[in-house]
Amino acid sequence: MSAPGRVHAFLRLFAIQGDWNYERMLGIGMGYAAEPLLDELRARDPVRHAAAVVRSAEFFNCNPNLAGLALGALARAERDGAPGEQVSRLRAALCGPLGAIGDRLFWAGVVPALSALAIAAVALGAGAWAVAGFLLVYNALRIGTSWWSLRTGLHEGLQVGGAVGRSWLPRAAERVGPVAGFAVGLAVPLAGRWLLRGLAPSAMVLAVFLAAGGVALSRWGGTHYSAVRYALVVLILLVAGGMVML
Amino acid sequence: MSPLDAGTLLLLLGWGTLVALDLVSVPQAMYARPVAAGTVAGLICGDLMTGLQLGVLLELFALDVLPVGAARYPDHGPATVAAVAAAAGAPWPERMGSAVLLAMLLAVLGGWSLQRLRHLNAQALHGRAAALAAGSLPGLRALQWGGLGRDAIRGLLLTALGLAGALLLRAFPPLALRLQGLLAAAAIGCGLAAVAGGAARSAGRGPRLRWLIAGLAAGLLIALSVG
Repeated sequence: MSAPGRVHAFLRLFAIQGDWNYERMLGIGMGYAAEPLLDELRARDPVRHAAAVVRSAEFFNCNPNLAGLALGALARAERDGAPGEQVSRLRAALCGPLGAIGDRLFWAGVVPALSALAIAAVALGAGAWAVAGFLLVYNALRIGTSWWSLRTGLHEGLQVGGAVGRSWLPRAAERVGPVAGFAVGLAVPLAGRWLLRGLAPSAMVLAVFLAAGGVALSRWGGTHYSAVRYALVVLILLVAGGMVML
Repeated sequence: MSPLDAGTLLLLLGWGTLVALDLVSVPQAMYARPVAAGTVAGLICGDLMTGLQLGVLLELFALDVLPVGAARYPDHGPATVAAVAAAAGAPWPERMGSAVLLAMLLAVLGGWSLQRLRHLNAQALHGRAAALAAGSLPGLRALQWGGLGRDAIRGLLLTALGLAGALLLRAFPPLALRLQGLLAAAAIGCGLAAVAGGAARSAGRGPRLRWLIAGLAAGLLIALSVG
């Protein structure tokens, strides 16, 4: 596949969720990103190309940062002339593992770890630099992973499942969880101290009481509890109470 | 508190729209996170500290959310931009609590609007089903760009609504000054509950829980040692 085609597909990976919907989820974004990779097929075998375009936009779902693995592998399989049914089976088989590993690695690991470290750094006086650092590190990791994903998928084709299993991804997903736990734990007292500074002691007592109550509710409050609902109820009651007092 | 001029409001509107797009559609560079969205909004308003404070506070709520696939989750980005617009220029913690209340309402509305967007995207898909079945590349491109355009409109409307709310809050603060401190403290308490409750839930009983406790201990030590 041509270098410009790879670069275009890589850039389109950043909008892979641009048409997210409940029927095909990432399907349309995958089809759009696959277009430059399937371009060579158009001149060589127009019938196969049309069928490949149809398959490329079918249902798909996974973590967007690992979508390149599936995109590359499926495009390679189409180029190599794999039977259409086999391409569709590979597509379906990749959804679960790439979603599970990617969500653990990014949404439950890298993002909370870096975000919490940024909070801790802001609370310790790093200011906007902490936020810039968060964005730079996250995007370096994410862009590197996306490029590696696309390259690995294109290289491995139908064998991509085994390649993922042997790669650094499962180990990284396992190791980043404790790092995120530590970072979030570190951020909580620092953020509390920084945000509460200068408030009256009675206000601080209220904050600690509400924090403890919220944690207890999140543990034992059942499925109806959510942090946003809790905040809305508390704040609306306070505003209403304050207005009545006035 | 000086009024926000039209240029600032336009910049905030543009920033809120970009932030809304970043959450799901493009480019997911994480500037939709409240800590980033709030910092830039603070810079736009000429009050970086309020942007950082509200960004950090609302990030505590965002840390409770796993933005996974089909799940419905609050959209904190445009909400943070509006909250910063509501509180910029006021001394801490004046307006902070009411700004967080505005942000929570908008975040919930944003989550709902994201679901509506996904249904609208599915409707557009039905409209082009024949083209897709024929392997039409123009049909595919139209769907992709249509989805992006709809999300941009969603972000624009959400931010515009949030800025209107912010202007109202700036003009008519809901509580007397002496109660604003309590409201801010309540918002901070709820934020701490969100992040601590979410972290305890996701830690389970494995090694992550031990590391969470170690982090809490380290954070407490640092917080106490820096006074």
